Amino acid sequence: MTFQTATGLETSGKTSRVRLVVPVLAIASRLLRIALPILSILGFWYLAILLSGLPEFVIPRPEQVLATLIADREMIWQHLLLTLSAALLGFVCANLVGIGLAMILTLLPMLRSLVMPTAVAIRNVPYVALATVLALASGDNMVSKVTIISIAGFFPVLVNTVRGLQSVDQVVLDRMHVLNAGPWRVFWQVRMPYALPFIIAAQEIVGSSSIVVAVAAEWMISSSGLGFVINRAMAQYRGDQVYAVALLAALMSFGIYMFLQFVSRRVSWNSYR
Amino acid sequence: MAHGGLEYVLLLDDWTTYPGIPYRQGAFAMSLAIGYRNVSRRFGVTQALASINFEVAAGEFVALVGPSGCGKSTLLRLAADLDQPSTGTVHIGDQPPSEARRQLKIGLVSQRPAVLPWKRAVEDVRVTQRITRRNQFDAAALLADFGLGEHQMKLPRQLSGGMLQRVNFASAIAHDPDVLLMDEPFSALDEMKREELGIWLGETLRRRPKTTLFVTHHIDEAVMLADRVLVFSPAPGRIIADIAVETPRPRRADFRADPKFVELTARIRHLLFDTPFQVMTA
Repeated sequence: MTFQTATGLETSGKTSRVRLVVPVLAIASRLLRIALPILSILGFWYLAILLSGLPEFVIPRPEQVLATLIADREMIWQHLLLTLSAALLGFVCANLVGIGLAMILTLLPMLRSLVMPTAVAIRNVPYVALATVLALASGDNMVSKVTIISIAGFFPVLVNTVRGLQSVDQVVLDRMHVLNAGPWRVFWQVRMPYALPFIIAAQEIVGSSSIVVAVAAEWMISSSGLGFVINRAMAQYRGDQVYAVALLAALMSFGIYMFLQFVSRRVSWNSYR
Repeated sequence: MAHGGLEYVLLLDDWTTYPGIPYRQGAFAMSLAIGYRNVSRRFGVTQALASINFEVAAGEFVALVGPSGCGKSTLLRLAADLDQPSTGTVHIGDQPPSEARRQLKIGLVSQRPAVLPWKRAVEDVRVTQRITRRNQFDAAALLADFGLGEHQMKLPRQLSGGMLQRVNFASAIAHDPDVLLMDEPFSALDEMKREELGIWLGETLRRRPKTTLFVTHHIDEAVMLADRVLVFSPAPGRIIADIAVETPRPRRADFRADPKFVELTARIRHLLFDTPFQVMTA
């Protein structure tokens, strides 16, 4: 009897200590998960400066880049907005074209041999050539930027959506046939939900690459946006500005990726609980 | 003849329309008969089915057994309007399958559950009802009736194989079709679950009678559940025997120990496994 009481007391003492320790550990591990990548990036950065021996305008120190970000914030913000809006518009167009084409190709399969080779060809033209042609055709403006981003992005959406629309289980299609469901209903209530996880997977690719492509397009043909800032800064030996802009673009790209993952976990039926 | 008991075994040439078992008629005025007349089906050069003639009377339960690839599933697909015969006709009531399908008279239970992976059990049953615009059954009550009361808000991947097949069945009959076409519905389940669901199906059909065509490769299951068992030859599939199981349905689990059950399953086994040898020595 006494023995049991003693063990009982000991256990309760343990649990109260555990109750205190567990959340502290959880917070610590969460902090570490955020801090570690930043620390490792900074560490490698300093290591690169130390080992390469390159001049400051080629590889500036992190604190210098931060200072530039703060000092030039108005100019950078202005160009950042331009890049972001081009990326966003391109992202939306890539999806409209990709999903739209996939729907057409699924409803009218005989068009597939007509459209797919062209889609593959356009996808495989180097963006540099495309950018040059577009700059010649419509000049340095939003239209050419958005077009390049859409062309770079529509293909993964198209391929994934087609695959998703075809991933429908045949027994489900048989069931719909026996229940006399119309083709429209089958498309929207069976095929599209089946395709949803595939479409979302494509967003993770297209979403983050649209920023990268937007910056590249601006670098080549534009007189505005983050890509242009990089171009101009390089001509003025302003490595700190290049790094500042690159850091922002990378952060945005990463942010979009994380956001899309967050959304997909809530939208996609294969992650329902 | 190597085996007696011709009262059970009717060769194809002696084909007759079975009247069904008398005590069931009348109770099933709403059910429809299914008929196959001179049906054959050819896929390219492969003859899958050769001159099939039989009738499933209204309210009757007919099981089709035969080796893999003998065309028994094709036969079912013909009745479901999922495939067309190369020659001959299929009818449900007095209509072709396409018309019966349009009038929502067909319920199809597939081997793999035809449920939508993003729909919870009760929602999946409602999908059938929404598409067919028939909701005389309450979906939740139907599932509760099938022993799934506490599982009706689960997603397909949260359900076991046996439970999933019950949801599949509920979704297949939620519009109250007249005929039920079942294609190896329990073949993905283990032996115990299969027997349990067989008993459950028998009981369910007693309460909601339907003309049933049941494809299986399990001889025991066929004899346990059916009024008649049609035995098929290897491809091209032909009916080599039409065996009546006269014990009233639904049968209890102990029917498996009944001498009649033992005799019938032994006879079907003999027909299925000895047939090629008879052909060779003939």
